[in-house]
Amino acid sequence: MIQVFNQDVDKLIGLSINEPSGKPRHKIKLKSVGQHLENHHRSIILNHYISQLPPFPATANKVMEICRDVNTSPTDLTKVISLDPVLTGKLMRLVNSAYFGFSREIISPVRAVVMLGMNTVKNLVLGSSVMGAFGKRKNFRALDMDMFWKHSLGVGVISKLIAQKRNIDKNFWEGYFIAGLLHDIGKIPLNSRFSNEYLNILKIPENESLPLFVSEKKILGIDHAHVGNLIAEKWKLGEEISDTITYHHTPETYQGMQNDILFTVILSDHFANSSEIGFSGNRYLNNIYPEVRQYFEDNAEFSFDNISAFNGEVEKEIEKAQIFLKVAG
Amino acid sequence: MKLRFWGVRGSIACPGPKTVAFGGNTPCLELRFGPKNRLIIIDAGTGIHPLGNRLVWDDIQDGPINAEIFITHTHWDHIIGFPFFRPIYIPGTKLKVYGPMTFEDDSLEKIMSDLLRYRYFPVLHGELTADINYSQLGECKMDLGDGITLKTKYLNHPLLCLGYRFEFNEKVLCTAYDTEPFRNVFSTDTNAEDFDPVACDEGEDAANKENEKLLDFYRDADILIHDCQYTKEEYLSSKIGWGHSFFEHAIDSAFKANVKKIVLFHHDPLRTDQELFELEKHCQENFGNQSDLEIIVAKEGMEIVL
Repeated sequence: MIQVFNQDVDKLIGLSINEPSGKPRHKIKLKSVGQHLENHHRSIILNHYISQLPPFPATANKVMEICRDVNTSPTDLTKVISLDPVLTGKLMRLVNSAYFGFSREIISPVRAVVMLGMNTVKNLVLGSSVMGAFGKRKNFRALDMDMFWKHSLGVGVISKLIAQKRNIDKNFWEGYFIAGLLHDIGKIPLNSRFSNEYLNILKIPENESLPLFVSEKKILGIDHAHVGNLIAEKWKLGEEISDTITYHHTPETYQGMQNDILFTVILSDHFANSSEIGFSGNRYLNNIYPEVRQYFEDNAEFSFDNISAFNGEVEKEIEKAQIFLKVAG
Repeated sequence: MKLRFWGVRGSIACPGPKTVAFGGNTPCLELRFGPKNRLIIIDAGTGIHPLGNRLVWDDIQDGPINAEIFITHTHWDHIIGFPFFRPIYIPGTKLKVYGPMTFEDDSLEKIMSDLLRYRYFPVLHGELTADINYSQLGECKMDLGDGITLKTKYLNHPLLCLGYRFEFNEKVLCTAYDTEPFRNVFSTDTNAEDFDPVACDEGEDAANKENEKLLDFYRDADILIHDCQYTKEEYLSSKIGWGHSFFEHAIDSAFKANVKKIVLFHHDPLRTDQELFELEKHCQENFGNQSDLEIIVAKEGMEIVL
């Protein structure tokens, strides 16, 4: 029986079960093969789920209200989209796949509405591929999605504020916001499709001495940066967003050209975690990565003191967003 | 490259004594390329009905009909003639139908097939004997073979709509309908409740860039067929956001893009022959003498050879 199983596994993942001598491997190998199979299975589930990622529960009602209102103002439509990482990402995917020459640019909701028109953007948001699992809180059993949403929005707002303080061209501010908003998007499929495992990840006491992405990898064999990378590639989100999502916990390995936006989001993430702006599941507070610290220390226009002054502004922005979303009733 | 207009009217077909000269059929253009007389059709408005009859009476003697239809968008006036296009009922006919991605739930094939359902029509799409294939396009550049190159560009209409630019033997034909100038849809009034300074600036920049891209799309065309449903007065008074252009804008775009000939197209169904003659004369007298740009108003049956 085991022999048959081994052969099937061999075919499935391309591993040689027998040693070159012809002797069977030690039984312990079977466990690692089983782990491979489990990871393979998880990857299929994740890929399927990514294609129907639902909007956030926090924005769900307002999205429906705004998109069904024939007199919606463009400002309200873009505001509600920009408060939701999933809708923002899906809108970028649409523009990048349909328009010539946009595959590397960050397209903000404002720009997309001018290019595509209100009807198309509303259609996209209301389309069944987006609304498939719309607003089902039971999909988010492990991580508190409202707190997670607050964290994502907070990181977006801080990233944009840092860009502003550094006198970066204002045409790029929205890109910093979007990169921050989307940096943790890989947590959504993990949290939704592997809720039990994710509950364990969040509960284990050692999580307090291990970064969340390490715990994810330990329990699930995959971390949210990797899942986020799958989403970014599938949605063709471009290098800036994709690299930010993929390397925001491993800047020391980053070899690409998007340091500025990546390091800004990492710094914002650190600040959001230490100031407890929302909660993204990470109880482990690391020091600022040395590469990131060095990068900003070398930057004459930036002082770390700036960041502590952001707290009030960030809270204000989040409060404004909450009021806007709750108006939907 | 040869071009014949089978339908030039927008919105709805409007036959009658006041539209005899310019015609009442909705959009359909017939393009012919090179010695093979390759057939490309743009849009399947009611004008495709007489075109189909002509193909069945004349062309079929040379062999089965083989055509590509490029749909600009799927509003009624651009597709409603499709069930009445006789070649779709003839075995051996081969059609490739292209149209824009719209990101609605239904594909181009589903939308076109739905025209032939019992609730609208006595024949089902599945019963057609022609070989019909559908493809959806985004903005792209395609080599169509026989030396024909196609470029596409999204226009500004309430439904995603493509302009087509055909290049053949160093001649360029470009379509721009249905469309209106891109504009900043975000409030610029600092006192307005929904005023957002960042959105206002970005919306302005986005609209300017899209308008620039349109000019690049038309650049140096020998002929530009442009939406011109309204006069400037009509447009500004109540038609902004409806997705149609006005005479002055179309002509100004052609000037800026160094176009040689502009054909004003997609006439309002209420526009009478008399009014169109007067508008044509007005445009030629007021704008035509400023450069070498030739300005004409599209007429059903009109033929142009490039």
